[in-house]
Amino acid sequence: MTWNCEQIEARLSDYLDGLLTPDERREFDAHVNDCEACVPLLASVSHLLSDLRSLEAIPEPPRLAYDILNLTLGPRAVKKGWLGGFSWVRLLTSPRFAYSAVSLVATALIILTASGFSFRKPKLADLSPVNIYRTADRQAHLVYARSTKFVSDLRVVYEIQSRLNKDNELPTEPESTVPQSAPGKNPGSTDGTKPATPRQQNRANGIGREIEVLAEEIPVVSLKLCPMLLGRRLQ
Amino acid sequence: MALCNFWGKLVTVAGFEADDTLEQDAQLVQQCLQGDGSAWEELVRRHTRRIFNICYRFTGNGTEAEDLSQEVFLRVYKTIGSYRSAYGGFATWMTSVTRNLLIDHYRRTKRDRITDSLDDAMPVVENKESAGRRPDQQLLLGELSHQVQTALTKLSPELREAVILRDLQQLEYNEIRQVLDVPEGTVKSRINRGRIELARILNQMGVRPS
Repeated sequence: MTWNCEQIEARLSDYLDGLLTPDERREFDAHVNDCEACVPLLASVSHLLSDLRSLEAIPEPPRLAYDILNLTLGPRAVKKGWLGGFSWVRLLTSPRFAYSAVSLVATALIILTASGFSFRKPKLADLSPVNIYRTADRQAHLVYARSTKFVSDLRVVYEIQSRLNKDNELPTEPESTVPQSAPGKNPGSTDGTKPATPRQQNRANGIGREIEVLAEEIPVVSLKLCPMLLGRRLQ
Repeated sequence: MALCNFWGKLVTVAGFEADDTLEQDAQLVQQCLQGDGSAWEELVRRHTRRIFNICYRFTGNGTEAEDLSQEVFLRVYKTIGSYRSAYGGFATWMTSVTRNLLIDHYRRTKRDRITDSLDDAMPVVENKESAGRRPDQQLLLGELSHQVQTALTKLSPELREAVILRDLQQLEYNEIRQVLDVPEGTVKSRINRGRIELARILNQMGVRPS
Protein backbone atom coordinates (compact mmCIF):
# COMPACT_ATOMS: atom_id res chain seq x y z
CA MET A 1 0.00 0.00 0.00
CA THR A 2 1.47 3.34 -1.01
CA TRP A 3 1.25 6.07 1.57
CA ASN A 4 -0.13 9.52 0.81
CA CYS A 5 1.01 12.89 2.10
CA GLU A 6 -1.50 12.88 4.95
CA GLN A 7 -0.18 9.59 6.23
CA ILE A 8 3.37 10.85 5.89
CA GLU A 9 2.55 13.91 7.96
CA ALA A 10 0.69 11.84 10.56
CA ARG A 11 3.62 9.40 11.03
CA LEU A 12 6.43 11.93 10.61
CA SER A 13 7.41 11.92 14.30
CA ASP A 14 7.29 8.13 14.48
CA TYR A 15 9.68 8.02 11.55
CA LEU A 16 12.07 10.51 13.12
CA ASP A 17 11.92 8.74 16.51
CA GLY A 18 12.55 5.35 14.91
CA LEU A 19 9.18 3.92 15.87
CA LEU A 20 8.12 2.67 12.44
CA THR A 21 8.28 -1.00 11.54
CA PRO A 22 10.62 -1.93 8.68
CA ASP A 23 7.68 -2.25 6.28
CA GLU A 24 6.29 1.11 7.34
CA ARG A 25 9.70 2.71 6.94
CA ARG A 26 9.97 1.33 3.42
CA GLU A 27 6.58 2.78 2.53
CA PHE A 28 7.56 6.09 4.10
CA ASP A 29 10.85 6.30 2.21
CA ALA A 30 9.21 5.25 -1.03
CA HIS A 31 6.71 8.11 -0.87
CA VAL A 32 9.15 10.78 0.37
CA ASN A 33 11.66 9.99 -2.37
CA ASP A 34 9.07 10.81 -5.01
CA CYS A 35 7.09 13.60 -3.34
CA GLU A 36 8.19 17.23 -3.75
CA ALA A 37 5.88 18.43 -0.95
CA CYS A 38 7.00 15.93 1.71
CA VAL A 39 10.74 16.35 1.24
CA PRO A 40 10.91 19.93 2.60
CA LEU A 41 8.55 19.02 5.43
CA LEU A 42 10.74 16.11 6.50
CA ALA A 43 13.87 18.23 6.20
CA SER A 44 12.48 21.15 8.22
CA VAL A 45 11.17 18.96 11.06
CA SER A 46 14.38 16.93 11.09
CA HIS A 47 16.44 20.12 11.35
CA LEU A 48 14.13 21.40 14.06
CA LEU A 49 14.70 18.29 16.15
CA SER A 50 18.46 18.59 15.87
CA ASP A 51 18.19 22.29 16.84
CA LEU A 52 16.02 21.54 19.85
CA ARG A 53 18.32 18.81 21.09
CA SER A 54 21.32 21.10 20.73
CA LEU A 55 19.79 23.70 23.02
CA GLU A 56 21.44 23.87 26.41
CA ALA A 57 19.47 24.10 29.61
CA ILE A 58 18.92 27.69 30.70
CA PRO A 59 20.76 28.41 33.96
CA GLU A 60 18.37 29.25 36.77
CA PRO A 61 18.76 32.54 38.69
CA PRO A 62 21.47 32.13 41.33
CA ARG A 63 19.20 32.83 44.27
CA LEU A 64 16.28 30.70 43.12
CA ALA A 65 17.22 27.60 45.14
CA TYR A 66 17.92 29.77 48.18
CA ASP A 67 14.54 31.49 47.86
CA ILE A 68 12.81 28.13 47.48
CA LEU A 69 14.45 26.85 50.64
CA ASN A 70 13.49 30.01 52.52
CA LEU A 71 9.92 29.59 51.31
CA THR A 72 9.69 25.94 52.32
CA LEU A 73 12.02 25.47 55.28
CA GLY A 74 11.75 28.98 56.57
CA PRO A 75 14.19 31.86 56.65
CA ARG A 76 17.75 30.83 57.41
CA ALA A 77 19.42 32.39 60.44
CA VAL A 78 22.02 34.67 58.94
CA LYS A 79 24.73 35.83 61.28
CA LYS A 80 25.24 39.52 61.04
CA GLY A 81 28.10 41.71 62.00
CA TRP A 82 31.63 40.46 62.51
CA LEU A 83 30.39 36.95 63.39
CA GLY A 84 29.01 36.62 59.87
CA GLY A 85 32.54 36.88 58.59
CA PHE A 86 33.35 33.57 60.24
CA SER A 87 30.49 31.66 58.62
CA TRP A 88 32.99 30.02 56.27
CA VAL A 89 34.56 28.26 59.25
CA ARG A 90 31.63 25.85 59.23
CA LEU A 91 32.82 24.55 55.86
CA LEU A 92 36.10 23.47 57.44
CA THR A 93 34.30 20.93 59.59
CA SER A 94 32.98 19.04 56.59
CA PRO A 95 34.57 15.55 56.31
CA ARG A 96 35.61 16.10 52.72
CA PHE A 97 37.58 19.20 53.60
CA ALA A 98 39.13 17.52 56.65
CA TYR A 99 40.35 14.52 54.61
CA SER A 100 41.84 16.78 51.97
CA ALA A 101 43.58 18.92 54.56
CA VAL A 102 45.10 15.91 56.34
CA SER A 103 46.33 14.46 53.03
CA LEU A 104 47.89 17.76 52.11
CA VAL A 105 49.67 18.13 55.44
CA ALA A 106 50.95 14.55 55.34
CA THR A 107 52.31 15.04 51.81
CA ALA A 108 54.04 18.26 52.82
CA LEU A 109 55.61 16.59 55.87
CA ILE A 110 56.92 13.69 53.80
CA ILE A 111 58.40 16.01 51.18
CA LEU A 112 60.03 18.24 53.80
CA THR A 113 61.47 15.28 55.68
CA ALA A 114 62.86 13.72 52.50
CA SER A 115 64.38 17.04 51.51
CA GLY A 116 66.29 17.26 54.77
CA PHE A 117 64.36 20.08 56.33
CA SER A 118 65.13 20.31 60.03
CA PHE A 119 62.02 20.80 62.13
CA ARG A 120 64.05 21.52 65.27
CA LYS A 121 66.12 24.26 63.67
CA PRO A 122 64.13 25.44 60.69
CA LYS A 123 65.81 27.75 58.24
CA LEU A 124 64.19 29.63 55.46
CA ALA A 125 67.07 28.77 53.16
CA ASP A 126 66.20 25.08 53.51
CA LEU A 127 63.01 25.71 51.58
CA SER A 128 64.74 27.03 48.51
CA PRO A 129 64.36 24.66 45.53
CA VAL A 130 68.12 24.53 44.90
CA ASN A 131 68.84 23.47 48.50
CA ILE A 132 66.03 20.95 48.46
CA TYR A 133 67.44 19.42 45.25
CA ARG A 134 70.97 19.29 46.59
CA THR A 135 69.88 17.74 49.88
CA ALA A 136 67.73 15.18 48.14
CA ASP A 137 70.56 14.32 45.75
CA ARG A 138 73.04 13.95 48.61
CA GLN A 139 70.63 11.80 50.60
CA ALA A 140 70.02 9.58 47.61
CA HIS A 141 73.73 9.04 47.01
CA LEU A 142 74.32 8.31 50.70
CA VAL A 143 71.59 5.73 50.79
CA TYR A 144 72.90 4.12 47.61
CA ALA A 145 76.46 3.98 48.91
CA ARG A 146 75.42 2.54 52.27
CA SER A 147 73.27 -0.11 50.69
CA THR A 148 76.02 -1.07 48.27
CA LYS A 149 78.55 -1.39 51.10
CA PHE A 150 76.10 -3.41 53.15
CA VAL A 151 75.52 -5.86 50.32
CA SER A 152 79.24 -6.13 49.66
CA ASP A 153 79.99 -6.79 53.34
CA LEU A 154 77.37 -9.49 53.44
CA ARG A 155 78.89 -11.13 50.39
CA VAL A 156 82.37 -11.19 51.88
CA VAL A 157 81.20 -12.56 55.21
CA TYR A 158 79.28 -15.25 53.40
CA GLU A 159 82.32 -16.23 51.38
CA ILE A 160 84.53 -16.40 54.47
CA GLN A 161 81.97 -18.48 56.29
CA SER A 162 81.55 -20.86 53.41
CA ARG A 163 85.30 -21.32 53.06
CA LEU A 164 85.74 -21.96 56.77
CA ASN A 165 82.92 -24.47 56.70
CA LYS A 166 84.57 -26.31 53.83
CA ASP A 167 87.80 -26.26 55.76
CA ASN A 168 86.20 -28.00 58.70
CA GLU A 169 84.59 -30.67 56.49
CA LEU A 170 87.86 -31.97 54.97
CA PRO A 171 88.69 -35.47 56.47
CA THR A 172 92.57 -35.12 56.40
CA GLU A 173 94.84 -34.60 59.41
CA PRO A 174 95.08 -31.09 60.62
CA GLU A 175 98.85 -30.93 59.81
CA SER A 176 98.23 -32.01 56.24
CA THR A 177 95.42 -29.55 55.56
CA VAL A 178 97.85 -26.77 55.08
CA PRO A 179 101.05 -28.06 53.57
CA GLN A 180 104.19 -27.36 55.61
CA SER A 181 106.43 -24.95 53.89
CA ALA A 182 109.60 -23.36 54.93
CA PRO A 183 109.49 -19.65 55.33
CA GLY A 184 110.51 -17.86 52.23
CA LYS A 185 109.53 -20.63 49.91
CA ASN A 186 106.57 -20.39 47.59
CA PRO A 187 103.19 -21.25 49.05
CA GLY A 188 102.41 -24.85 48.57
CA SER A 189 106.01 -26.01 48.49
CA THR A 190 107.15 -28.12 51.40
CA ASP A 191 110.45 -28.65 53.15
CA GLY A 192 110.47 -32.20 51.95
CA THR A 193 109.67 -33.82 55.29
CA LYS A 194 106.25 -34.73 54.17
CA PRO A 195 105.25 -34.32 50.51
CA ALA A 196 101.92 -32.41 49.99
CA THR A 197 99.38 -33.84 47.58
CA PRO A 198 98.53 -31.75 44.50
CA ARG A 199 95.07 -31.20 45.83
CA GLN A 200 96.36 -29.92 49.12
CA GLN A 201 98.87 -27.77 47.34
CA ASN A 202 96.23 -26.24 45.05
CA ARG A 203 93.98 -25.68 47.97
CA ALA A 204 96.69 -23.88 49.86
CA ASN A 205 97.38 -21.69 46.86
CA GLY A 206 93.69 -20.88 46.54
CA ILE A 207 93.28 -19.99 50.16
CA GLY A 208 96.29 -17.74 49.97
CA ARG A 209 94.97 -15.90 46.97
CA GLU A 210 91.56 -15.45 48.54
CA ILE A 211 93.07 -14.09 51.69
CA GLU A 212 94.94 -11.51 49.64
CA VAL A 213 91.73 -10.48 47.87
CA LEU A 214 89.82 -10.25 51.10
CA ALA A 215 92.61 -8.28 52.68
CA GLU A 216 92.26 -5.65 50.03
CA GLU A 217 88.55 -5.41 50.54
CA ILE A 218 88.30 -5.48 54.28
CA PRO A 219 91.43 -4.41 56.04
CA VAL A 220 89.87 -4.81 59.47
CA VAL A 221 88.59 -8.30 58.77
CA SER A 222 91.88 -9.32 57.27
CA LEU A 223 93.81 -8.06 60.28
CA LYS A 224 91.73 -10.33 62.50
CA LEU A 225 91.71 -13.34 60.23
CA CYS A 226 95.27 -13.29 58.93
CA PRO A 227 97.01 -14.02 62.22
CA MET A 228 94.70 -16.97 62.76
CA LEU A 229 95.25 -18.38 59.26
CA LEU A 230 98.95 -17.56 59.19
CA GLY A 231 99.33 -19.28 62.51
CA ARG A 232 97.77 -22.40 61.13
CA ARG A 233 99.99 -22.28 58.04
CA LEU A 234 103.16 -21.87 60.09
CA GLN A 235 102.38 -24.89 62.25
CA MET B 1 18.21 7.69 10.00
CA ALA B 2 21.50 8.38 11.76
CA LEU B 3 19.59 10.83 13.93
CA CYS B 4 17.11 8.11 14.87
CA ASN B 5 19.89 5.67 15.78
CA PHE B 6 21.66 8.29 17.85
CA TRP B 7 18.44 9.21 19.63
CA GLY B 8 17.72 5.55 20.31
CA LYS B 9 21.15 5.11 21.91
CA LEU B 10 20.74 8.32 23.91
CA VAL B 11 17.42 7.13 25.24
CA THR B 12 18.99 3.79 26.24
CA VAL B 13 21.82 5.51 28.10
CA ALA B 14 19.45 8.01 29.65
CA GLY B 15 17.22 5.16 30.75
CA PHE B 16 20.08 3.41 32.49
CA GLU B 17 21.12 6.60 34.25
CA ALA B 18 17.51 7.48 35.01
CA ASP B 19 17.11 4.27 37.05
CA ASP B 20 19.91 5.38 39.34
CA THR B 21 18.39 8.86 39.62
CA LEU B 22 14.98 7.38 40.38
CA GLU B 23 16.44 5.38 43.25
CA GLN B 24 18.26 8.38 44.67
CA ASP B 25 15.14 10.53 44.44
CA ALA B 26 13.06 7.87 46.17
CA GLN B 27 15.59 7.67 48.97
CA LEU B 28 15.64 11.44 49.42
CA VAL B 29 11.86 11.55 49.49
CA GLN B 30 11.80 8.95 52.27
CA GLN B 31 14.29 11.02 54.24
CA CYS B 32 12.20 14.13 53.70
CA LEU B 33 9.15 12.37 55.04
CA GLN B 34 11.18 11.57 58.17
CA GLY B 35 11.89 15.25 58.63
CA ASP B 36 15.38 15.43 57.15
CA GLY B 37 15.81 19.02 55.98
CA SER B 38 19.08 18.30 54.19
CA ALA B 39 17.31 15.71 52.02
CA TRP B 40 14.83 18.38 50.94
CA GLU B 41 17.71 20.74 50.18
CA GLU B 42 19.25 18.05 47.98
CA LEU B 43 15.97 17.52 46.13
CA VAL B 44 15.69 21.26 45.52
CA ARG B 45 19.24 21.39 44.27
CA ARG B 46 18.69 18.47 41.88
CA HIS B 47 15.45 19.66 40.31
CA THR B 48 15.55 23.47 40.36
CA ARG B 49 17.10 23.91 36.94
CA ARG B 50 14.82 21.39 35.28
CA ILE B 51 11.64 22.90 36.72
CA PHE B 52 12.82 26.40 35.90
CA ASN B 53 13.46 25.41 32.29
CA ILE B 54 10.00 23.89 31.90
CA CYS B 55 8.40 27.02 33.34
CA TYR B 56 10.51 29.37 31.26
CA ARG B 57 10.01 27.51 28.01
CA PHE B 58 6.26 27.47 28.60
CA THR B 59 5.82 31.09 29.71
CA GLY B 60 8.66 32.76 27.84
CA ASN B 61 9.13 35.09 30.79
CA GLY B 62 11.99 34.81 33.28
CA THR B 63 10.22 36.49 36.20
CA GLU B 64 7.09 34.43 35.77
CA ALA B 65 9.20 31.29 35.45
CA GLU B 66 10.96 32.11 38.72
CA ASP B 67 7.71 32.72 40.58
CA LEU B 68 6.12 29.61 39.16
CA SER B 69 9.14 27.51 40.06
CA GLN B 70 8.84 28.61 43.66
CA GLU B 71 5.15 27.79 43.62
CA VAL B 72 5.93 24.34 42.25
CA PHE B 73 8.39 23.54 45.01
CA LEU B 74 6.09 24.93 47.67
CA ARG B 75 3.26 22.73 46.45
CA VAL B 76 5.57 19.71 46.24
CA TYR B 77 6.83 20.41 49.76
CA LYS B 78 3.29 20.53 51.12
CA THR B 79 2.04 17.46 49.28
CA ILE B 80 5.14 15.27 49.28
CA GLY B 81 3.39 12.99 51.74
CA SER B 82 0.90 12.09 49.03
CA TYR B 83 3.60 10.93 46.60
CA ARG B 84 3.72 7.22 45.99
CA SER B 85 6.41 5.50 43.97
CA ALA B 86 3.68 3.41 42.35
CA TYR B 87 2.64 6.58 40.52
CA GLY B 88 6.02 6.67 38.75
CA GLY B 89 9.27 8.46 39.35
CA PHE B 90 9.45 11.45 41.65
CA ALA B 91 10.70 13.62 38.76
CA THR B 92 7.66 12.63 36.69
CA TRP B 93 5.33 13.44 39.56
CA MET B 94 7.04 16.78 40.04
CA THR B 95 6.73 17.51 36.31
CA SER B 96 3.05 16.74 36.55
CA VAL B 97 2.65 19.25 39.39
CA THR B 98 4.57 21.79 37.31
CA ARG B 99 2.41 21.22 34.28
CA ASN B 100 -0.81 21.65 36.25
CA LEU B 101 0.42 24.92 37.73
CA LEU B 102 1.46 26.18 34.30
CA ILE B 103 -1.95 25.43 32.83
CA ASP B 104 -3.67 27.15 35.75
CA HIS B 105 -1.41 30.16 35.30
CA TYR B 106 -2.08 30.20 31.57
CA ARG B 107 -5.83 30.23 32.08
CA ARG B 108 -5.57 32.98 34.69
CA THR B 109 -3.52 35.21 32.42
CA LYS B 110 -5.17 34.26 29.13
CA ARG B 111 -7.06 37.48 28.76
CA ASP B 112 -3.88 39.51 29.27
CA ARG B 113 -2.10 37.92 26.35
CA ILE B 114 -2.15 38.78 22.66
CA THR B 115 -3.90 36.06 20.70
CA ASP B 116 -1.39 33.76 19.05
CA SER B 117 -2.36 32.72 15.59
CA LEU B 118 -0.58 31.39 12.58
CA ASP B 119 -2.70 33.72 10.42
CA ASP B 120 -1.06 36.77 11.94
CA ALA B 121 1.77 38.26 9.91
CA MET B 122 5.00 37.42 11.54
CA PRO B 123 7.92 39.79 11.43
CA VAL B 124 11.06 38.46 9.91
CA VAL B 125 13.69 38.11 12.55
CA GLU B 126 16.19 40.89 11.97
CA ASN B 127 19.15 38.81 12.90
CA LYS B 128 18.53 36.36 10.06
CA GLU B 129 21.23 38.01 7.99
CA SER B 130 23.44 38.90 10.90
CA ALA B 131 23.46 35.29 12.13
CA GLY B 132 25.59 34.30 9.20
CA ARG B 133 28.19 36.93 10.13
CA ARG B 134 28.71 35.61 13.65
CA PRO B 135 31.14 32.73 13.72
CA ASP B 136 30.78 32.16 17.48
CA GLN B 137 28.76 28.99 17.94
CA GLN B 138 27.84 30.07 21.47
CA LEU B 139 26.16 33.21 20.15
CA LEU B 140 24.35 31.20 17.51
CA LEU B 141 22.95 28.90 20.18
CA GLY B 142 21.81 31.92 22.14
CA GLU B 143 20.00 33.31 19.12
CA LEU B 144 18.57 29.95 18.26
CA SER B 145 17.32 29.55 21.80
CA HIS B 146 15.62 32.93 21.57
CA GLN B 147 14.11 32.13 18.18
CA VAL B 148 12.83 28.77 19.38
CA GLN B 149 11.36 30.45 22.45
CA THR B 150 9.57 33.03 20.31
CA ALA B 151 8.17 30.27 18.11
CA LEU B 152 7.13 28.16 21.12
CA THR B 153 5.00 30.96 22.55
CA LYS B 154 3.02 30.98 19.29
CA LEU B 155 1.99 27.35 19.71
CA SER B 156 -1.18 26.40 21.51
CA PRO B 157 -0.58 25.28 25.12
CA GLU B 158 -1.37 21.64 24.38
CA LEU B 159 1.16 21.41 21.55
CA ARG B 160 3.68 23.59 23.36
CA GLU B 161 3.80 21.43 26.49
CA ALA B 162 4.08 18.25 24.41
CA VAL B 163 7.08 19.55 22.45
CA ILE B 164 8.74 20.93 25.58
CA LEU B 165 8.40 17.67 27.47
CA ARG B 166 9.52 15.49 24.56
CA ASP B 167 12.19 17.48 22.73
CA LEU B 168 13.52 19.82 25.43
CA GLN B 169 13.15 17.66 28.53
CA GLN B 170 13.69 14.32 26.74
CA LEU B 171 10.85 12.60 28.57
CA GLU B 172 9.65 9.22 27.32
CA TYR B 173 6.20 8.85 25.78
CA ASN B 174 5.08 6.88 28.82
CA GLU B 175 6.21 9.62 31.20
CA ILE B 176 4.52 12.33 29.11
CA ARG B 177 1.35 10.26 29.18
CA GLN B 178 1.49 10.27 32.99
CA VAL B 179 2.22 14.00 33.16
CA LEU B 180 -0.52 15.03 30.75
CA ASP B 181 -2.92 12.32 31.87
CA VAL B 182 -3.97 11.52 28.29
CA PRO B 183 -3.65 8.36 26.19
CA GLU B 184 -0.33 7.66 24.53
CA GLY B 185 -1.87 8.04 21.09
CA THR B 186 -2.90 11.57 22.01
CA VAL B 187 0.63 12.26 23.25
CA LYS B 188 2.15 11.15 19.94
CA SER B 189 -0.39 13.12 17.97
CA ARG B 190 0.28 16.33 19.92
CA ILE B 191 4.04 15.91 19.65
CA ASN B 192 3.80 15.35 15.92
CA ARG B 193 1.54 18.31 15.30
CA GLY B 194 3.58 20.47 17.64
CA ARG B 195 6.80 19.73 15.80
CA ILE B 196 5.28 20.39 12.39
CA GLU B 197 3.70 23.64 13.60
CA LEU B 198 6.93 24.75 15.25
CA ALA B 199 8.92 24.03 12.07
CA ARG B 200 6.46 26.03 9.99
CA ILE B 201 6.59 28.96 12.43
CA LEU B 202 10.37 29.00 12.36
CA ASN B 203 10.36 28.86 8.56
CA GLN B 204 7.95 31.78 8.42
CA MET B 205 10.19 33.66 10.86
CA GLY B 206 12.95 33.19 8.35
CA VAL B 207 15.14 31.08 10.58
CA ARG B 208 17.50 29.02 8.48
CA PRO B 209 17.79 25.34 9.38
CA SER B 210 21.12 24.34 11.00
